Amino acid sequence: MSSFDVELIDIVKDFESGGSRLRAVDHINVQIADGEFFALLGPSGCGKTTTLRLIAGFEQPTAGRVLIRGRAMEGIPAYHRPVNTVFQDYALFPHLTVEQNIMFGLQMEGLEKKEAQKRALESLEQVRLPGVGRRRPHQLSGGQQQRVALARALVKQPAVLLLDEPLGALDLKLRKNMQVELKALQRDVGITFVYVTHDQEEAITMADRIAVMNNGEMLQVGSPKEIYERPGTRFVADFIGETNFVDGTLLERDEEGFGTVKLMNDAVIRAQLSDTLASTGGPVLVAIRPERISICRADAGPAGPGTTSLAARLVDSQYIGTDTRFTLQIGETIELVARVQNIDDLPKAAFPVGQAVTANWSETSTTILDH
Amino acid sequence: MSRWFRRSQKNGSLLALPTALWLLVFFVLPLVIVLVVSLMSRGRGGVAQMPLTLQHYERTFGIFSIILWRSIGLAGLTTIVCLLVGYPLAFFISTRRRRIVQQITLFLVILPFWTNFLIRTYAWRILLGDEGTINGILRALGIISEPLQLLNTQFAVLVGLVYGFLPFMVLPIFASVERFNFRYVDAAQDLGANETRAFLRVVLPLTMPGLLAGCALVFIPSVGAFVTPDLLGGARGLMIGNLINNQFGGSGNMPLGSALSIVMMGVVMLSLLVYVFGNRRQTGA
Repeated sequence: MSSFDVELIDIVKDFESGGSRLRAVDHINVQIADGEFFALLGPSGCGKTTTLRLIAGFEQPTAGRVLIRGRAMEGIPAYHRPVNTVFQDYALFPHLTVEQNIMFGLQMEGLEKKEAQKRALESLEQVRLPGVGRRRPHQLSGGQQQRVALARALVKQPAVLLLDEPLGALDLKLRKNMQVELKALQRDVGITFVYVTHDQEEAITMADRIAVMNNGEMLQVGSPKEIYERPGTRFVADFIGETNFVDGTLLERDEEGFGTVKLMNDAVIRAQLSDTLASTGGPVLVAIRPERISICRADAGPAGPGTTSLAARLVDSQYIGTDTRFTLQIGETIELVARVQNIDDLPKAAFPVGQAVTANWSETSTTILDH
Repeated sequence: MSRWFRRSQKNGSLLALPTALWLLVFFVLPLVIVLVVSLMSRGRGGVAQMPLTLQHYERTFGIFSIILWRSIGLAGLTTIVCLLVGYPLAFFISTRRRRIVQQITLFLVILPFWTNFLIRTYAWRILLGDEGTINGILRALGIISEPLQLLNTQFAVLVGLVYGFLPFMVLPIFASVERFNFRYVDAAQDLGANETRAFLRVVLPLTMPGLLAGCALVFIPSVGAFVTPDLLGGARGLMIGNLINNQFGGSGNMPLGSALSIVMMGVVMLSLLVYVFGNRRQTGA
C-alpha cells in the first residue's frame, strides 16, 4: 500500500492537431504525499494545467500511469475518480443557485436532498460565505464565486483537491488574503492540494513543495526554500525571483559541494555547486540573488572567510519602496543588481552613483549552474 | 406642445411612433376587421353580411375540428422530428474544431433557401410520387412490386414540413450551443455526473433557450402551412391553412375563413405562451 495520494509515473501527453504533434507533458515522475500542498509552477503553456487534467481524468496520458491513493486510474473516467477540481473560471453552473451548485455533486452520489442541503450550508460556512445559497453565481463577486467553487469541490470530501489557478482572476489584495485563507483551510481539512499557478510568489508562500515546469518537463521538485536557494537550472533560478547570472569557467569541483570559477574579469570565486550540475569544467553560470549582495565602502577592509569580495562601481540606484536597487559594474563586462532593504536612510545617502564600492556575498548563497 | 415634444424626446417615446402607426394600420385594424367578419353571416359570393352569428365558430370546433387537430398534430410532430434531427446537427456543427468545416456545414444548412420554396416542394413530388425516384429505386432493388403510396399522405406533408423548417430549428440551437461553455461538462463530470446526467442536468438546461426558440420557429409556421400540404398532402393531408385559403376564393366563405384564422391565431398565441413561460423558468426570472 502506497502512502502517496498521487503518483505520476513516466507520464507523456501528446496532442495532435492537423498532422503536427505537440508534446504537452514530457516524462513526468512525481509523488505527492497525503495531506501535502503541492504546487505546479511554470509559465503558460508549460504543461501544468494538462498535468492537472490528467490527474482529474479529463485527459488520458499518451504513455505512463496515474495512481491515486495507490490505485491505477487507467480507464477510470473523471466522474469515478476521488478528486475534485476548482476550475480557473470556476465553471459554476449559471442556471443553478449557489446552493444547488454545491448540492450537485452530492446528489450525483445519491445523497438525499435534505441531507445534501444541510451539507451545502455547512460547506458555505466553511468557506466563510453563509447566506448566499439562494443567489445565482452571476450575482456574486469574483471572490465570492471563487469561494463557492471551493465549497462545491470540498463538500465532496475528495482524496485530492485540484486547483487550476484559482486566484488568477482576483485583484492583488484579495489574492493575498485568499492565499492565507486557502492555506489555513488546507491545514484544517487535511486534504491533499495540487495547485497550478504561474505566480512564483503564490507558490512559494503557500506550497509545501513546488514542481517547476517548462516545456512539458518537470525541471525541479522541492520545498520553496530549496527551489529558491538552490535552483537546479538557469530556468528555475530565473523564473523564481530575481537573479544575477554571471558567465564563468569552472576550474575545479571539490568534495564539499563547492566549485572554483573564473569570471569574465579574471576574478576567481568559490561558489556552491547545484545538485544537478553536469559540468566538470568549462563554461558555467554563476547565479547570485540580488538581496544576498551587500555593499561596503571600498576602503572598508578585507571581508571574512567564506565571503566573496569584488571591487565594483555604483552605476545606478533606484528607490523601490521597501528596497533600494543598486546596479554595480564589476570590471568591464559584469553588471550585478543588488537589493538593499531600506531599514533606515542609510543606503541611498551613503552610496552616491559613481562611487567605488566593494560587493560582498557569502559563498553559500551563490550557485554554479550548467550553461 | 413644445414641452411635450421635448419631454418625449428625452425618453425616446417618439422613436416608436412610426412603428406604432404601422402596426395600428396594418396589424391591429385588419385584426379587428377579421374578428368582426368572423362574427358575421355569409352572403352571396362568400362575402360577409349582417346579422351577427357564432355559427362559423361552431363549425370550426365542430366538423372542422378534425382538420384543426390534424394541423396541430402534424405541426407538433414536425417540431419533434426537427428537434431530434436538428439538436444533434447543431451540436455537430458548433463543436467542429476546424472553423472551415463549421462554416461549410452551416452553409449547407442554409443552402436550400437559395431556391424558391415552391420549387423545392415540387421536387418532393417527384421524389415521393408513384412513379417517383424513391418508388423507382425500391422497385429496381426488388423490395416492392407495387408502388408505395407516399405522395398525398400525411407522411408526405410531415416530410415536406420537416425539410422546409429544419434550418429554423438548427440555427437558434446552434447559436446557443456556440455560447455554451464546455467547461461546465468538465465540472459536471468532475462532480460525479456521467455523460448522460451531465447532458440532462447541465447541457440541456443551458441550451434550452435555443431549443425553445427553435421549437417556436418551427411549430408556428407549420400550424399555418398551406403550400406544403397543398402540394404533398392531397385530400388526406389537408391542413387548416388550406381550409382558410379555400374560403377566400370565388366559392368561399369569408366569415368562416375569418373564424378559422382567429382560432389558428389562438393556437399560435398559446404556443407562444408556452415558449415565454418555458424561457422564464429557464432564466429563473
